[in-house]
Amino acid sequence: MAALKDVAIIGYAQARNERQAQATEVQFLFPVINEALEMSKIPRREIGFTCAGSCDYLSGQTFAFVMNLEAVGAWPPISESHVEMDGAWALYEAWVRLQHEDIDTALVFGSGKSSPGNPAEIYPLQMDPYTLTPLGFDPVSSAAIQARALLDAGKVTERQMAEIAARSRRDAMKNPYAQVTGEFDVDELLAQPYVTAPLRKHDLPPISDGACAVVLATGDKAREVCERPAWIRGIDHRIEAHQPGMRDLTTSRSTRLAGEAAGVGSAPIEVAELSATFTHQEPILREALGLGDQVAINPSGGALSANPVMAVGLARIAEAAKQIVEGGRRRTLGHATSGMCLQQNLVCVLEGEQ
Amino acid sequence: MTDTAGNATTTSGDEPVTMMEYFMQLEYSDVVSAPVMRFRDALMDARLIAQQCPKCKLVYVPPKGYCPIDTVELDERNEIQLADRGVVTNYTVVTPVQYYGQKETEPFVRASILLDPPGGMLILQDVLDIPVAEVRAGMRVEAVWAPKGERDVDEIGNRSGSALEGSLRGFRPTGEPDMPAEAFSDKVW
Amino acid sequence: MATAHEPCAIVGFGQTKHKKRRDDLSLPGLVREAAERALDDAGMTWSDIEAVVIGKAPDPFEGVMMPELSLADALAAVGKPMMRVHTAGSVGGSTSIVASSLIMGRRHQRVLTVAYEKQSEGNAQWGLAGGRSGGMGAGGIFAPWMRSYIRGSGAPEHIGWKVAVKDRLNAVKNPYAHLQLPDITIEKVKESPMLWEPIHFLESCPSSDGAAAMVLTDEEGGRAASKPPAWVLGTAMRSELGSFPGRDTVRPQAGVECAEMLYKEVGITNPREQIDVAELYVPFSWYEPMWLEGHDIAGPGEGWKMVDSGETEITGSFPVNPSGGVLSSNPIGASGMLRFGEAAQQVRGQAGEHQVPGAKVALAQAYGGAAQYFAMWVVSSELQPSLS
Ligand SMILES: [Zn+2]
Repeated sequence: MAALKDVAIIGYAQARNERQAQATEVQFLFPVINEALEMSKIPRREIGFTCAGSCDYLSGQTFAFVMNLEAVGAWPPISESHVEMDGAWALYEAWVRLQHEDIDTALVFGSGKSSPGNPAEIYPLQMDPYTLTPLGFDPVSSAAIQARALLDAGKVTERQMAEIAARSRRDAMKNPYAQVTGEFDVDELLAQPYVTAPLRKHDLPPISDGACAVVLATGDKAREVCERPAWIRGIDHRIEAHQPGMRDLTTSRSTRLAGEAAGVGSAPIEVAELSATFTHQEPILREALGLGDQVAINPSGGALSANPVMAVGLARIAEAAKQIVEGGRRRTLGHATSGMCLQQNLVCVLEGEQ
Repeated sequence: MTDTAGNATTTSGDEPVTMMEYFMQLEYSDVVSAPVMRFRDALMDARLIAQQCPKCKLVYVPPKGYCPIDTVELDERNEIQLADRGVVTNYTVVTPVQYYGQKETEPFVRASILLDPPGGMLILQDVLDIPVAEVRAGMRVEAVWAPKGERDVDEIGNRSGSALEGSLRGFRPTGEPDMPAEAFSDKVW
Repeated sequence: MATAHEPCAIVGFGQTKHKKRRDDLSLPGLVREAAERALDDAGMTWSDIEAVVIGKAPDPFEGVMMPELSLADALAAVGKPMMRVHTAGSVGGSTSIVASSLIMGRRHQRVLTVAYEKQSEGNAQWGLAGGRSGGMGAGGIFAPWMRSYIRGSGAPEHIGWKVAVKDRLNAVKNPYAHLQLPDITIEKVKESPMLWEPIHFLESCPSSDGAAAMVLTDEEGGRAASKPPAWVLGTAMRSELGSFPGRDTVRPQAGVECAEMLYKEVGITNPREQIDVAELYVPFSWYEPMWLEGHDIAGPGEGWKMVDSGETEITGSFPVNPSGGVLSSNPIGASGMLRFGEAAQQVRGQAGEHQVPGAKVALAQAYGGAAQYFAMWVVSSELQPSLS
């Protein structure tokens, strides 16, 4: 693979995550895009390429993403594309587009309003329509199977899972966008009943309405407008077998492959923002990415404190960038996932200059 | 192939099963946004309201809470009252295609209506009291409101702002002379 | 034409036989039929492919959410990057462009891209209406705009009928096309039921099951290919708001600018002369003259005259949709990629019976939404053709 052109994150913004937004998706996306553009100091009309990520099924409307063009200000017309995936993949598409060297800026966003629907009804439609959807294979049941496999393999304990939940909610107290926050006692969490054994409520992500936007710029342009850009040093994504029975659910091969291709192991990572939407997925991802105890995981509170589907992965990358741009960190990582039991994964390594 | 669980899909004889129908139902319940809520309230009162952008002066009906052209947010302060009469700028006659949930069986009209000043466009409206074949661009029309007490706005959500028929049944000819259709060729949508 | 990106070549194209119902195939079977043909055409196997880009129209059309997840195995994407594009009706075009971007941006050397729709496994009319009554389909939305075009251009009514006949007779030369209507006549089109005034039944696209696939590679791969490659000279995507007062829906600005960007990148100054053949997204007959004008191939009010004089027939000076176009096959999500792939086949000299003799430069276009999403590319038999 040829040498990469320098591309950096120079602006980002998120919506405050809510269990049920009173506003429409366009309405809550609107200020997020405006804020990210403002931070980047790139005038809206100068953006070279725009790419969005969203999903029709969340709000139950065909062509739901078409409305989201209204939040971008797509008049006069813009160069634009859309993935029916988390906004992290929209960022990937935009980053590739910036490698062509004919444009120097891009706007990326992901958004989702999950509150209108019932996840247990909707997500089985992600599964094989002939063999799995009719079984009503839902995300919590599949995650429970994965957690059980992990517990049985001795790779995690229920106490460690509760500790991850408590840590995430505590860290989220400092995150103005987070939805589930606070101090929680691990013993009290463990005293709660199972929702779907071996998962308790704290092992599950909240249902969130939210959005995230990111502005990208190439080399000189990024340096010109941003004091400390978060440079994308590596980005890659991989998918694996669909049938959960075909995979070893206690590991994440696709995350490992994406991490290797993104160069995670070539230098120490200080902070990792992982899309671990269930507590037990955090140790799976840590292992796949080779992240040791010295790595701070999800200082934002992660997906357990706010899970705006279709934006949550992009928000992880935005949080990883924030650690560099505002936090002065040297090297961070953002991760996104798609499908059940971590079927598809994206890894983005970011660096600040010394 | 044996039938199980009541899926009697085998036809008579020994024809193999090639298709099974699998219906699914998903329920969604969304919060109606504040601007659309105000629009609904006005319809219950037989009034049409809109938001007008202070920058570009465009009129949005139903109100959206923002102007997508200028990317500025709008609110009640930008609200205006609209006329309930205007002119058909364009239309089509639809021969309904049947699908699950379709109730229409006969050809029906869907017209774009430009309301009299201060303006505002309503799309996909029914035209009443006139044979389908006589509908034309440039025709003057007025609103036909459902009687008070029979009005409902249940169909109007954040993304279905032209489904007004529960309160505004459609438009009917006023009998005034037609206006020149060419004058409205850029106001069809 | 100063571009710093890697050249991109199409070295394989495949499509299914498009039909009302492909009940002999599952969804994975459908995409594999097209993908295997594209791989065979490229002289490659599944393991040669580094990444997969998939596209289709809205998920509710088949009731499968984010289908890349359940199609990953069938498309041998396991362990590889896989993306899913969705830009409404233009998606087959934009999916092709995203795949080409992976080559141009030097991410990969061999990319497989696939687009499909299996309309028989769902109900697009229901999907378009959001499950509500009174649904009018895409034709109902576009009909008033076609009427506006007719009124504004002064085109006689037989132009629409003529396009409908031309594309169906072209489809007879294309064994993959859904509709095979060798006996179609102007009279039959005119007498067919009126669906959305002014559009008759025979002036509108069918509802099809089908898929299209392409293998794209870099300069080295293109030069080493066993069959002639099609070089991507330029790509463009442009979107605009679907609805605001005063929007020109007949000649949408995004379509005008998309073409303008593309011509500039490729170095085209006179599209009508410099382009040898075009595959345009024409789901309703009147969109042929509308896009000829909307993409500045013909001047205002001149598009219908090109149709009338036979210029857009295979034997004409500017053939449009020699494959039979969307009017003959409409697996929605794949329809754009069929345009992009058929354009490539023309300049590769691989179009079979519907080949335009000597075609060197071809244009492909797809549009979607409320005629607000546009994707276009120009392909050529040569990497640096002289565009005189
Ligand atoms: Zn405005």
